[in-house]
Amino acid sequence: MPTLEIEGRVFEVDGDGFLAEPEVWNEEVAQLIANHDGIGEMNDKHWAIVKIIRSNYEEKGMAPMIRHICKETGVRLREIYELFPLGPARGACRVAGLPKPDGCV
Amino acid sequence: MDGEVFGLQNKDNMEKLTQEKIQKGLDVLSAKHDGKLITHLNSCVHCGLCANSCVYYNAIPKAKFIPATKVDLVASIYRRYQTFGGKVFPKLVGAKDLNDEMADEMVDLLFGACTMCGRCVSHCSIGVDISYVIKKGREMLSNMGMVPDTLQSTINSALESGNNMSISKTDFVETLEWLEEDLQFEVDDDNAKIYLDQKGKEILYTLNPREPKFFPLSISAMAKVFYAANESWTISTKMYDVTNYAYYSGNYEEAAIITQRLYDEVENLEAKKCVLAECGHGSRAFRWEGPNYIKKEYPFDVLTSVELLAKYLKEGRVVVDPEKIQEKVTLHDPCNLARSGGIWKEQRYILNTCVKDFVEMTPHGLDNICCGGGGGQLAMSEYNERRLAIGKLKAEQIRATGAKIVATPCHNCVDQLQQLNVTFKLGIKIMTLGEIVADSLILEKKSEEKPNINKLEIKAL
Repeated sequence: MPTLEIEGRVFEVDGDGFLAEPEVWNEEVAQLIANHDGIGEMNDKHWAIVKIIRSNYEEKGMAPMIRHICKETGVRLREIYELFPLGPARGACRVAGLPKPDGCV
Repeated sequence: MDGEVFGLQNKDNMEKLTQEKIQKGLDVLSAKHDGKLITHLNSCVHCGLCANSCVYYNAIPKAKFIPATKVDLVASIYRRYQTFGGKVFPKLVGAKDLNDEMADEMVDLLFGACTMCGRCVSHCSIGVDISYVIKKGREMLSNMGMVPDTLQSTINSALESGNNMSISKTDFVETLEWLEEDLQFEVDDDNAKIYLDQKGKEILYTLNPREPKFFPLSISAMAKVFYAANESWTISTKMYDVTNYAYYSGNYEEAAIITQRLYDEVENLEAKKCVLAECGHGSRAFRWEGPNYIKKEYPFDVLTSVELLAKYLKEGRVVVDPEKIQEKVTLHDPCNLARSGGIWKEQRYILNTCVKDFVEMTPHGLDNICCGGGGGQLAMSEYNERRLAIGKLKAEQIRATGAKIVATPCHNCVDQLQQLNVTFKLGIKIMTLGEIVADSLILEKKSEEKPNINKLEIKAL
């Protein structure tokens, strides 16, 4: 199992750096992954997006639609791509501790 | 990137091969009537010209990454089981057993070290169809139950849910209704629509599921272009997925199921044409491989969005102003569309018409370098380190153009380029061709008559 070390913490991850055990996720882990991705200190919008993705995952076992993220957080679509330069999947879902979604992402 | 994150191999999860599984793999090579297979397995003269054409060998210069080495994996098994010399004196003729070790090596190199971009084929001194041999090797592994789980998972999603991201119908419909509201606002017309499940339209338009799920701007863009062109079109809520990951896995029974579903939906909705979203492998799988998967010709036309957009521009059905896109734009050619599909002039026509400053990469077109995300690589996390390593070649090509926008008609390439953009700090924006056309559109009031020629100077074709 590959590992990802960020600031002294070691996480088991898949080959794309998504957490192998989504249950080890908490807000501190989210901030660490954001640091690793170059996002830096997450602002309110980052947190709103990450929390809606996380709660959808815990409830339904998958990432929400981007429409749901926009509607629930009030963040504009184009701004989401700016907040997470790797996009909603490789960026936001990874910070939210989800497994990598299937498909062309 | 942290080196220790990567380099995971799949072998730990693999069951050991049984004789029955081995035989299923060997069956792929035993088709005596397959003249192409036999010819291409016997033709490599080991000249080595393919080595430098390969993104893997260029990025990681180890002999195992040379395309000829990958071909020889399959050819050595063929010799062992299908030739007299190989059966009697295997070592003398370089014939090898298909066993656990060989199968693991095949998974590592045929799945994990090939994007099936086909550049080696065009550089081969004698024209061996190397990608075809790789596909045969993947088909063997598929028959043996050795498709990497990460790749198979995307296929399973498609087979079970009807789309490769398991999007529910409710979520899909709500997303398209949301996009329709946005479209009406954008074009300032409440009659602008995204038509769902309508029968008898000219076009059934498909999507890559990543569009409704995460990246819907490309749907909005095409809807805007269809609106401007006054097109008769619809999207199916039942079967809209343009992708077919079974093309990558080599499981052609599964590929046929997915192809048949789209075929059935075009028939069900009585559309005259099926227009494929900007998707390299999806276009190849449905348009060019599909009739072979389902063993019948299509009674309807199939064309790619790229061809349709170029046609609209040539016929003056949409009018654009290249002054709207001032940044320098370059083009990434998806291997499956350009090198394998022969569609390479259309995207240049579109860019020469729609943007002010279009610059080519070197090399480009039929000799373009793969972005590194093809062949199913984006799905197979275990080979992520290699995928980013080979992507460096594309990143350098992009950087050398000085472009700020990279246009590419393939969502798979878009995702790889997005990751290269962050990894190699390119500072670029990646756009589909639909987005380029939509951003340069001049929308006219629906009541006014449209001009019947494109008023802009045609620089290409």
